[in-house]
Amino acid sequence: MLLLNQLTPLPWWLAGSAIAVITLTLLWTTGRRLGISTGYENLCALVSDQPYFKRSGLHGPGAWRLPFLAGLLLGGLLSALLGGGWHPSWALGLWDQSIGAGPLAKSLWMFAGGLMIGVGTRIAGGCTSGHGVFGVAHLEKASWLAMLCFLASGMLTTFVVHRLIF
Amino acid sequence: MRQNTLFLVLGTAFGLVLSRGGATDYDIIQRMFLLESFQLYGILGTAVLVTGLGLRWMEARGRRAGGAPLAIRSKPFNRGTVAGSLLFGVGWSMTGMCPGPVLVNIGEGKLYALPAFAGVLVGTWLVGRSYDRLRGPLGLPPAAERDG
Repeated sequence: MLLLNQLTPLPWWLAGSAIAVITLTLLWTTGRRLGISTGYENLCALVSDQPYFKRSGLHGPGAWRLPFLAGLLLGGLLSALLGGGWHPSWALGLWDQSIGAGPLAKSLWMFAGGLMIGVGTRIAGGCTSGHGVFGVAHLEKASWLAMLCFLASGMLTTFVVHRLIF
Repeated sequence: MRQNTLFLVLGTAFGLVLSRGGATDYDIIQRMFLLESFQLYGILGTAVLVTGLGLRWMEARGRRAGGAPLAIRSKPFNRGTVAGSLLFGVGWSMTGMCPGPVLVNIGEGKLYALPAFAGVLVGTWLVGRSYDRLRGPLGLPPAAERDG
């Protein structure tokens, strides 16, 4: 199983430990609880006049997720640059093999999936980072249930898409 | 300002690890859901175990760097937890991305991550816009008590 530029993935124990070190460093040095999906609220708060996005928790020190999200972009860019070069691409492995539609259909598919990520994580109150890593590690009931639902629903969707329909 | 640099550096490190660990790879995500690849279960399991040990130590100590008190707010449990999580699972499978990897994928140059990013933003905005109407049926907390 290879990544972009045919790179071999890091061993799972190393990548998992690194995520834990980053999560604990964030809490230890800044008191912030890891969580990425709320960062999309910070992005909305930059432009939206809706009262929900005007709440104080998203502004001032609460805007800390903006530089963190910028770092995620930068991390992806560095990963490509340091690992064989940055080559913009539409290639999508298994999706191209089984569904095989062009960039327009792929974009609509991705937009629809993104919409469900946005609505779902806001209603669930977190994603794989805030619930899946932090909340599960912190033994929170909501997070254990959330993670089980993420996985169950992801498994069912992938099975239906790649084993039943296409 | 110094803290913003720290957030940027930690985000960059997180992005690099997600990218090289395989969390931003569509095929690895699908094979995880099909139980054909252990990679992401191994990553999540290790991250949870090591984070959990660190949290126990920090909570026992009750303080973080510089002696500041440690306050961790648990996430609320409500009807939205199940409904939202099931919906997110569909999106995770369809795109092969969770919210962090959407951004990492854009950085890597995967162009299809741009419409996914637009979708996440629109979805987030839609919930924010309808939050007061969704609160009752889903049992969500008042907006002011949400994470920020």
